[in-house]
Order: sequence, then C-alpha cells, then structure tokens
Amino acid sequence: MASRRLVVGSLSVVVFLALWQIVGSTNLIRSDLISYPSEVVATMAKMASTGELGSNAWVSLNEFFVGFVPAVIFGIVAGIALALVRRLRLLLDPLLIAIYQAPIIAFIPILVVWFGVGTTSKIVMVFISAFFPVMINTMTGVAQVAEPWTRAVRSFGANTLQVVSKAILPGSLPAIMAGMRLGVGRAVVVLIAGEMYVSVMGIGRLVQVYSSAARASEIVVLVVVISTFGFACVSFLRWLENRIGPWRQELEQ
Amino acid sequence: MSHLDVEDVSLAYRRPLSNEQFLALENVSLGVERGELVTVVGPSGCGKSSLLMLIAALLHPTSGSIRLSGREVKAPGSDRAMVFQDFALLPWRTVLSNVELGMELKGVTPAERRAAAQRYIAMVGLRDFERHFPHQLSGGMRQRVGIARALSVEPEVLLMDEPFGALDAQIRALMAVELLRIWERDRKTIVFITHDIDEAVYLADRVIVMSASPGRIIETIRVDLPRPRDLDVRNTPEFAAYRHQIWGLLEEQVRSTLNWPAVAS
Repeated sequence: MASRRLVVGSLSVVVFLALWQIVGSTNLIRSDLISYPSEVVATMAKMASTGELGSNAWVSLNEFFVGFVPAVIFGIVAGIALALVRRLRLLLDPLLIAIYQAPIIAFIPILVVWFGVGTTSKIVMVFISAFFPVMINTMTGVAQVAEPWTRAVRSFGANTLQVVSKAILPGSLPAIMAGMRLGVGRAVVVLIAGEMYVSVMGIGRLVQVYSSAARASEIVVLVVVISTFGFACVSFLRWLENRIGPWRQELEQ
Repeated sequence: MSHLDVEDVSLAYRRPLSNEQFLALENVSLGVERGELVTVVGPSGCGKSSLLMLIAALLHPTSGSIRLSGREVKAPGSDRAMVFQDFALLPWRTVLSNVELGMELKGVTPAERRAAAQRYIAMVGLRDFERHFPHQLSGGMRQRVGIARALSVEPEVLLMDEPFGALDAQIRALMAVELLRIWERDRKTIVFITHDIDEAVYLADRVIVMSASPGRIIETIRVDLPRPRDLDVRNTPEFAAYRHQIWGLLEEQVRSTLNWPAVAS
C-alpha cells in the first residue's frame, strides 16, 4: 500500500521532469529562460566541482545553525517563563505578538545597518525568524499541559524546576517541535532574502548574482539546494517528533 | 498521638466567579494509627478529596494543623504518596518510567530505582507491560501503575483519592481485593477516599462518614470483619449491617445536597 502510493506519487514528478526536459532541450520555450533537467544536473556538478556551491552553502549553513540553535533555546525558555509568570505575559504579550506578526523581511535593511553586511546580520535574522514561532508555540504548549501531570509531579514533593523538567517541558514538547518546524521555514526564507539583499557569501548571494545575469539553470540549482535543506530539516524534526511523542496522537483522539 | 493527626482543620476558599466565601471543611479532626486502613465516605462535594489534598499538602488549611509522626506537614513530600482518581500518569513515559517518577524526585539512584520499579510493577501484576505506554493499558492497569508508583517511594502514608472511581463495577471490586492483598504484606497506613459504601466497608478498619458541605465528620465506625477478607464477606449479615448503618447516615446528607425530601416508606 505504502509502496504503491510512492509509485503513484513519483509518477507526477517523473512526468513533470520529462515534459520539462523535452520542452527545454528542444527550445520549444527558450531554454535560457527555463533551462531543463539534464542541464541543471550538469550545472550543479560544475558548481560543486569548482567549490562554489560548497563554500557558499557552508557559509549559509553556519549562519542558519548559529542563529537557529540559540533561537530554539531562548524561545523555549522565554515561552515557559511567559506561560508561568502571568504578569510578565500581560506586560509583554502585545509587544511580542506585534513583532511576531511583522514581516521580518522589512527589518532586513535596518539589521544590515546595525550588524553589517557579513554573517552577523544574517545570524540575527535567522534568530529573530525562529525565536518567535518557538516562543509562541511553547507558550501555547505549556498552557495545554494537563493539570494531572503537574499534580502528579508536585505530589511527590517536586520543586518548581522539577515540575518544569518532569511535566511542563515534556508535556509541551509536541507544541515546541511544531514551533521549530514553523521556525525553519521562516528562517530559511529570511536568510536567503537577507543574503540576496546584501552579503559577502552565501547561497542567497549566489541567487542574487545569477539572477542579475539571468542564468536560469544556476538559479534552479540553488532553488533545489535551498528546498532540499528545508525539506531535510522538517523531515528530521518530524522523525524526532514521532520518536519522542507517540503518546500525542492517542491524546488527540 | 496517632501516626497521622488531623487537628481541627478547616478549609475555606473564595469561589472564583461569585467571590463568595465557601467553607469546604469545618473543624475536621481525625487520628489514623500506624498500619491502619481508614476509609472516608461522604456525598459528592463534601470536601473529602480536599481533606486528602490537605494531608498531601497540595492544599493548605485555613486553620488547624496536620501532623505525620508528630511533624507538621507543610509541603508535599515522599513520606505521603498519592493515588489519584484520574491516575495522573505521564503519557510520554512507559510504565517502568512512570513508576520511577516518584523515586527520581526523591533522589534515588538510577540503578536502585530501576530495580525497585520492577519489583513494584511485579507486585501489581504488570511485569509484562513495563515497556507499554499508559494509553496502551486499560483503566484498571493504569491505576495499578499509579499504585506501584506511590508504593515505590516507600511512603509512611498512602493517600488514595477515589482511586477506583473511574473503573467499572467488576474491575473495581477486584482492584479492592488486590489492594488488600498488597496492604496485608506490609500494613502501610492508608487513607482511602470513596463514595462507594461497599468499598469503604470492605477495605476499612474504620469508616469515617462525612456530612455534605461544609464537610464535617459525623460518625466514625469501626469495622470488625475478620481479615484477610475476600469478596464473599460482602454477602454476610455483618457486612449488611455496616452498609445499612452507613447508608442511614449518608442518605440524609445526600438528600440535602439534592434538595429532595425524604420518601415515605
């Protein structure tokens, strides 16, 4: 059943690639505008062999993880603190929601002014993009932690820190993971946009360079690289979620 | 001085919406001896669960005090372990890991608590389910996990808050048999809350009967049925007499909570 779905699902991809190959390689539509799969593969091999792809991807990956990991940690801590301390939440909630709703892309120019054209400004962009969804999902998750879980832990004499680590954190983990998945999507978009706006190196900079030279096949290569990365991150998080939270589906029934 | 002393305890709180003062418990005094199994019956809303929460120190009395072995209880601790009506298991933990929870918080080393957890899981008959998650178990099995978790911290007192209230009648009767079997081994002090009169008499050395709100103790009945008891004891005339006596005390209380007049018979 699963394998059958895989076959049917990949059929559409195969047909699409075949059509694209035919239309592009026969110049039915100008191939310098749409390229075609075999040319994309060749371009990718070339970009990889010159080290252009690797060195720029390395810079972007670094910016991503150096921004993303702290965003997750601070997002979880801030989310739990806001959920548990009512006054803090009342004070900061409107401000945080407002920042969350604002398109971060609009902040890119000012972040570049503050943090420079290099990697620092991109790291800050990733951090801001991922921090808010993680924080807000953590808040929601903590609110959904069932009272019996904390009651059980408290009844054995747990202190506040233990209530957080034994009941609140594991109980809100599914929501936190959902926040991380949202954060990956937002952070990738903002990182690429930031690099396209101004940067020294990075995948987004390559996109900008090749698009100003109207090089379709290079741009397609970069799009494939970016979406593969996002897909890999989200798949990893889903896998992790299934490993740690098989109890979740049961509760939702 | 008893093992567990509840001294003149009252509990008042403000209702969240109307903000009126509500008296849940009024001047409750109760002494439980070491190794005694005391059950508390009363109409719903009589504050019997609150009494247990006070002993666990998950709530604090408005006046009066609670002492365990002479020391006033001020905060929750593993000298008192609770078993809850809703089981209160952690759904992301396996049976084994759920049972280890109390010992983790008590600071027992991982190797020791693993061994102890396995011992108590075997005691409640769940040896083959150590790796299962709570949602894979029936209600009766879940509560056996709850009981193993409570026993594993080796508390001085076991506090059971309508532990079998969520189970159906047959399972419920068998769980009471199981509880007595476990209790006969080491005769831990137990305070057991229920609204089921048969369950209360079947288990108890003494049955405490409480009034409708505010909760007060209206009667204490010593149950002189021989131990060990099996389910057949419920069919004896002596048992029927206790049942009748307690129902006589409770009927009026229950009617008052329902606002129903007595039926002429």
